[in-house]
Amino acid sequence: MTHPLLAIVLLPLLGFLVNGLVGRRLGPRFVSLVGCGLPIAAFALAVKCFVDLGATGAPIVDRVYVWAAFDGKEFDVALAFDRLSAVMTLIVTGVGSLIHVYSIGYMKDDRGYARYFAYLNVFLFFMLMLVLGKSLLVMFVGWEGVGLASYLLIGFWFEDAAKARAGIKAFITNRVGDAGFLLGMFVLYQALGTLDMATINAAFASATPPAVSASLVGILLFIGATGKSAQIPLHVWLPDAMAGPTPVSALIHAATMVTAGVYMTARLSGIYMIAPEASFVIAVIGVATAFFAATIALVQTDIKKVLAYSTISQLGLMFVAIGVGAYGVAVFHLYTHAFFKACLFLGAGSVIHALGGEQDLRKMGGLARRIPVTFATFAIATAAIAGIPPLAGFFSKDEILWFALASERGGSAWLFAAASLTALLTAFYMFRLLWLAFLGAPRMDAETAHHVHESPPSMTIVLAILALGSAVGGFVAVPHYLEPLLPLPEIRAAVAHLEPAVIAVSVILGFAGLAAVAYFFGGDGRRAEAAERRFAGVHRVLSGKYYVDELYDRLLTRPLAWVSERVFLVLGDRVLLDGSLHGLAGLARRTAGAFARVQTGNLQLYVFLALAGLVAALAWAALHV
Amino acid sequence: MDKTQLLVALGVALFAAGFVGIVVRRNALVMLMCMELMLNGVNLTLVSFAQRMGSTEGAVLVFLVFVVGAAEIAIAIPILLLLARARRTLDVEAYADLKG
Amino acid sequence: MIEDLLLGVFASAAALSAIAMLVARHPMRVAIALIVCMLALAGIYALLGVHVIAVFQVLIYVGAVMVFIVYVIMLVDMRDNAFASRYSWLLVPGAVVAAALVAAICDALWRGGAAPEAPGGARFGIQAFSETFLNEYWLYFELVSVLLVAAVVAAISVVKLGIGRRG
Repeated sequence: MTHPLLAIVLLPLLGFLVNGLVGRRLGPRFVSLVGCGLPIAAFALAVKCFVDLGATGAPIVDRVYVWAAFDGKEFDVALAFDRLSAVMTLIVTGVGSLIHVYSIGYMKDDRGYARYFAYLNVFLFFMLMLVLGKSLLVMFVGWEGVGLASYLLIGFWFEDAAKARAGIKAFITNRVGDAGFLLGMFVLYQALGTLDMATINAAFASATPPAVSASLVGILLFIGATGKSAQIPLHVWLPDAMAGPTPVSALIHAATMVTAGVYMTARLSGIYMIAPEASFVIAVIGVATAFFAATIALVQTDIKKVLAYSTISQLGLMFVAIGVGAYGVAVFHLYTHAFFKACLFLGAGSVIHALGGEQDLRKMGGLARRIPVTFATFAIATAAIAGIPPLAGFFSKDEILWFALASERGGSAWLFAAASLTALLTAFYMFRLLWLAFLGAPRMDAETAHHVHESPPSMTIVLAILALGSAVGGFVAVPHYLEPLLPLPEIRAAVAHLEPAVIAVSVILGFAGLAAVAYFFGGDGRRAEAAERRFAGVHRVLSGKYYVDELYDRLLTRPLAWVSERVFLVLGDRVLLDGSLHGLAGLARRTAGAFARVQTGNLQLYVFLALAGLVAALAWAALHV
Repeated sequence: MDKTQLLVALGVALFAAGFVGIVVRRNALVMLMCMELMLNGVNLTLVSFAQRMGSTEGAVLVFLVFVVGAAEIAIAIPILLLLARARRTLDVEAYADLKG
Repeated sequence: MIEDLLLGVFASAAALSAIAMLVARHPMRVAIALIVCMLALAGIYALLGVHVIAVFQVLIYVGAVMVFIVYVIMLVDMRDNAFASRYSWLLVPGAVVAAALVAAICDALWRGGAAPEAPGGARFGIQAFSETFLNEYWLYFELVSVLLVAAVVAAISVVKLGIGRRG
């Protein structure tokens, strides 16, 4: 096969076209076959490429075609497959295919079945373009494309205005970040004359780095990552994005799209390695986001919202790793997070499916015996995210905490303390989620309780596979695999001996969270309610998500709407444009009216004017000839 | 100033007088008569030049102008009379139907 | 000498009668002034030696055209609005433009010198005239006769139109 990468990218696009154009007419079975079969084929191809990569060691490059050529410079569409792309592609196609299969059961009776699979496939196409792109330009096309797919899928049930608005919010917030990304691209092109990422990394890593400030470029690109990966201040779209179908939340807003920012900063590690200021900014924003999102997740009552804030928090931890120079560790956490977060989201979907659409935690409980497979997989994934050894999350989170303390490039005690506190909170709210949803006494009404049933095999098998991944995935040494490409930072000599202590701390934090939940929510849950009453003010602020949305509304949305209304509509459009056009028309009318005065119908006037003109001509000739 | 120049000047003067009459007089029949005056002025210039150049062709042309003028007045008067009958007046200011 | 005197007399007559046409109130007086002007012009033509044209001037213009106009004036009621106020509002502008016209043409006229005198006389006799007319310009002769037929047809249809409207 001469263009394996191109095939991997185009298979989902084919699925999009087929399902989008003729899917509705050909029925759900055909749509499922095409919609799931093509991503699975792409996964198989990715595995083959991975094996080939391991055999030869050299990255596979696919030059597809030259997009533009001018001024002696060329912009070509090229795909590259090296170790980092391999990890990402396998995650995207592997977890993606699983979620496609899960969707068969979840979206079974939906009217937009074919449209759903078409959109999922187009998302895969763009995401693969993002991770396989060789130049920033191709990556940016994929970047924008996944934003579009996210918008289409969040607002999938667009007849509900609130859901449609959530889609728009996601898209616009992304666009704000993309402005930063574009500016970063422009600065890079201006300085280096190319957007090829390998060339950029080499240029920055060389002995004579380019004359542009690496920190400036790093921060601009990170702004794009903030938008896509939902970090402060552009995190506001992710909780609202839960309006979309649950498999969409699993795929896009947990496993793949939101990790694009992490991938991008890891890919351009060459820039960040000589940009300590930018790395510091990333680490600070990462840990701040992680902490704040974790605090908000403590009090959420919607099962999907808890998971949304959890995603924001975990992404923050990934950026902490990026910020201290441990790029391979960030990708490792990305990889384990894909497994357990997808499992959690799909498990939540299974719960919602079982309860006939209920998402409020206060109306759940006591489901463990009724839907055992869902409960088992959910419990495994929860333990993974809480960092209970030997599950996957423990390994990746422990690495992050270690490098947060000990990295030569920005590791410090306070960073470690904040990250550890976040880990504690993570364990707490995740076990709280598990407890409220599955354990304790049932709090739903009798009618719903009667209909609780386990999900069909297409859903439960996927949950089992993902739970398995969450359990044993940590034993795959991803940072070691990525070491040739993304070297790990040096360890600070002062704290080098604290490694075992850090491991112990992270284990203790995981179990401490479990114990705290058992304390507060065990029995009849009275202690939790009492704590809530005692800290009512704090609870209100957390429930209001620190009122960030309200702040943005007051600060940005309302002034913008005012400007649109009063300046552009009334002044610009009506007064200036319409007024000038009407004014011109009126001018034409008045001028014509003035000229029409000549037509008096009086013969004598006409004769007079004719001869007066003639005499004028004669007079001119008499004077000039 | 010799004879030809004087006569041509007279012809132009008659032409101008006819023009003034058309533009100024309000009676339609008087307008027509002033048109005849203009025609006569032109004829005079033609004859003067023909006589100076000694060409018979000029005389022939003058004769043709006579005939055409006669034919023209033969039609113009009846049309004018019909118009005057329709409007019940010979005042040309009453004929301004094409105003606007 | 006498010729120059007569020429001056006839020229003055033509000019004065033209002015009288502009000033007279009754259309009949205007017609009479026009007849006088035409007769003066006929005299000028005769003095120039173009006797044929002089005769035709009197025959056609005075004898046919002016008689026709006089008949019409006699048959139409003259006492209407145009009788009371003679002039339209274009009196001054018209006079100005006419004066400019005369000035422009006369200026062009008097710039050049005198044209060479050509042998005249017998060339304007009836024989020379007829020969030239019917030998070289017989096509125009035919065309003119067609024009006259067209004029007759038009006159008759106008009369019929008039009858139709009344009847």
